[in-house]
Amino acid sequence: MVQARLESLPVIALLAAVGLFLCSLANALARATVAPTELIYWVGLLIIALPIFFRLSSTKPGYRERLGLVLLLGLALYGVKLVHDSIFFTFSDEFVHAFNAHNIAQYHHLYHFNPAIPTTPYYPGLEGATSSLMMLTGMSSYGAGIFVVGAARLTFMAALFFLFARLSGSARGAGLGVAIYAGTSNFLFWGVQFSYESLSLPLLVVVLMAFAEREEAPKASRGAWAVPIVLGILAITITHHLSSYALAAIFVALAVLYRVMKVERPNPWPFALLSVGAALGWLLIAARSTTGYLFPVLEEAIKAIVKTASGESAPRTLFHQASTTAEVVASTPLAARAVALLAVAALAALIFLGLRVLRRRDERREPFVILLGIGALAFFAALTLRFAPAAWETGNRAGGYFFLGVAFVGIYGAAEFLRRGPNLLRRRVLLTGALGVVLVGGAISGWPWDIQLARPLQATADGSEIDSESLALAEWARERLDGSRFAAPEATARTLLAPGGQVAFGGQGPDIEDIVDEPQLESWQLPLLEKHHLPYVVADRRLNSEDTLRGMYFTVKDQYGSELREPGVVHKFARIPVGRVWQGGHLSVFNLEDRP
Amino acid sequence: MRGHRDLKLVCLAAVLCALVAALVPWEIVRLVAAVPLTLFLPGYAIVAAAFGSRELAPPKRIVLSVGTSLMTLVLGAFVLNIFPFGLRTASWAVLLPLVVVAAARGAALRRDPADRRARRRTAIPRPAPASLAIVAVAVLIAGAALALAQKPLPAKNAVGYSALWMLPTDSREEAVAVGVISNEHDYTSYRLEVNVGNSQSETYRVHLYPGEEEVYEVDVPPRPSGRTHVVATLYRKGRPEHVYRRVNSWLPRQTTFP
Repeated sequence: MVQARLESLPVIALLAAVGLFLCSLANALARATVAPTELIYWVGLLIIALPIFFRLSSTKPGYRERLGLVLLLGLALYGVKLVHDSIFFTFSDEFVHAFNAHNIAQYHHLYHFNPAIPTTPYYPGLEGATSSLMMLTGMSSYGAGIFVVGAARLTFMAALFFLFARLSGSARGAGLGVAIYAGTSNFLFWGVQFSYESLSLPLLVVVLMAFAEREEAPKASRGAWAVPIVLGILAITITHHLSSYALAAIFVALAVLYRVMKVERPNPWPFALLSVGAALGWLLIAARSTTGYLFPVLEEAIKAIVKTASGESAPRTLFHQASTTAEVVASTPLAARAVALLAVAALAALIFLGLRVLRRRDERREPFVILLGIGALAFFAALTLRFAPAAWETGNRAGGYFFLGVAFVGIYGAAEFLRRGPNLLRRRVLLTGALGVVLVGGAISGWPWDIQLARPLQATADGSEIDSESLALAEWARERLDGSRFAAPEATARTLLAPGGQVAFGGQGPDIEDIVDEPQLESWQLPLLEKHHLPYVVADRRLNSEDTLRGMYFTVKDQYGSELREPGVVHKFARIPVGRVWQGGHLSVFNLEDRP
Repeated sequence: MRGHRDLKLVCLAAVLCALVAALVPWEIVRLVAAVPLTLFLPGYAIVAAAFGSRELAPPKRIVLSVGTSLMTLVLGAFVLNIFPFGLRTASWAVLLPLVVVAAARGAALRRDPADRRARRRTAIPRPAPASLAIVAVAVLIAGAALALAQKPLPAKNAVGYSALWMLPTDSREEAVAVGVISNEHDYTSYRLEVNVGNSQSETYRVHLYPGEEEVYEVDVPPRPSGRTHVVATLYRKGRPEHVYRRVNSWLPRQTTFP
């Protein structure tokens, strides 16, 4: 009776809320520069997830309760991301997409130039959708984005549950499958940032769910299910390049499997044709710059794999910050690395069990199931990309898609582990623990250890709000300069985009990074700035100013942000001479058109 | 749409929400109206049109409604962009109800007449008062967690600083605005000196609480030829000889690069 009470949905929801509060408290303490607070955060995360995992492993809950549990899991873990932010987007890609959304709201049309990632305006699905809420409510992109991404996350959780329930024929398995998926490294933060994939991946899962339902539906209902599939394919095409290619690949693979396996149901080639045609058409007509953005990354990844495999270059050290321009950051502690590796081992064990079970079952004749099985194996192959320096990101991003297969095959592994018999309670506890390890391990490997908790972007002093150097500059620029053009270290450039609303270039295309980082003024630097008409140059002495994950926060004594570049990065512009229009903290802004 | 209560309700709700979102000035009220208008109603109507009289379990209907609404927003933005007026409050407030009404009309046509009688409201389980109380407490705690995250906190170890800036007040560039912003942790006093050319000099005593900004306007008399060099220098009270911040400008500014 007591156990039943403790396992009821309201009590689990209460525990999830307490866990979320602990995560928020840990982040608040971190923002208040009180260290260390990591333990509170991890405990909070586990208080959210473990009761849900434990209940999902039970045979008692009905279909709707399980659906409620996975929605609760999605909502609470989305809350963990929200309490990590303060009142602005703080993840590096979020500034880019917030700038696009701001431009749509300001100019009333899509496809406005984005200096940080020029491809993003040509995949305006997320920003277009967000702009509707921005305009209808008057909210900022931050407020509207929270609702759109939140709706997408809840849709994702429910659609994944329906998909797994349909394919496995088990609601219990579906719940556990979604719980396993929460352990993918991109789930906690990356997958719910204000970025195009946070919308496109949920839509992709909705399309897959609709396809799976269509396959089982009576003939008369198949046309109805085709509506969300077709709308989904079109929406994904204009939302995110990789997702549209992934969806096209899935449908093509399914069409081939249907043909090879002589499946009696209608071959899904029309969907394959539509998704390939739409993705290619959009690439060629609207988003040609994608080739210049995406393919060099893939090319580098392939080269890195070859070099690492042949021993030509050293493998990448796991849990290591790769940046050469950023300040030295704390490495992931040994215990945390152990948890992350244990998570991979737990997943491997579940997959091993799951594949063994699947081999004996009827589902193995289902093309969709075969595809998910291949996805599960591909996930482990993609893990090896983490050892290749230029390929780890490709592996990490692909992992989000392959993990659909891991979660699905994991259902069978978990079911095998929980087979009826003695000591079921003990096995449920063990499985719950393993899922907890997978969740925490995924979170550890998916986001740098030193920024799992928030840093102060704003603080209070004497009852008033004070801003970090980057934020203060961005706010000033928004108020005083009307969409001016800046060259800046990348972290500052991102805050100048949003909330600053300026056209701020950073990074290496064009090579702004060297202009603002080198202490000497080279002969090519001013002509390059003139060529791109960038009159405002931000000279920032902070060593982490190129680091788009860490460079926009306050410097905190004895903790982070205090390492500096040579004074020459500022003096070289003052010596030209040109006007200095802003000096605050370690940041100076020069106007190259302001000179004797 | 006679006899299809859900479709009628959806259409009414879409029109009402659009009117409220477009016309009411209060953000929170607009939000309450805009969320269902953007994230649920279009999808509900489209799913209803697609499925007609065919059964679809309520949880799936709801999830498909939200998913299809998101797709509608994405494609809607694409469609609105084609028109010269583009994406505006008014265009969204017209497009979304239009989609809802059109799809609902399609749904009404596709549903069997017999379905009007057969379609019953889905029974919603009534939770026990104790469960409701627990959920209410959970919502309060989650709300507190989000509120805590929104609140900037004292961060004594964060390094405070002050900023000095200078810009021409307008395009004629006959005056500059010089601003001092304090992002220090404590009340801070400064001395601000503004030199205009070689002759004119202004000194200001500046006292700022954390988060405060003070802006001064200084005239820059036009010269018959050449440019006037304006230099603003900020000193902190405790170190009166040490230049803390300095900004400068040559007016009128050029439009060419060095």
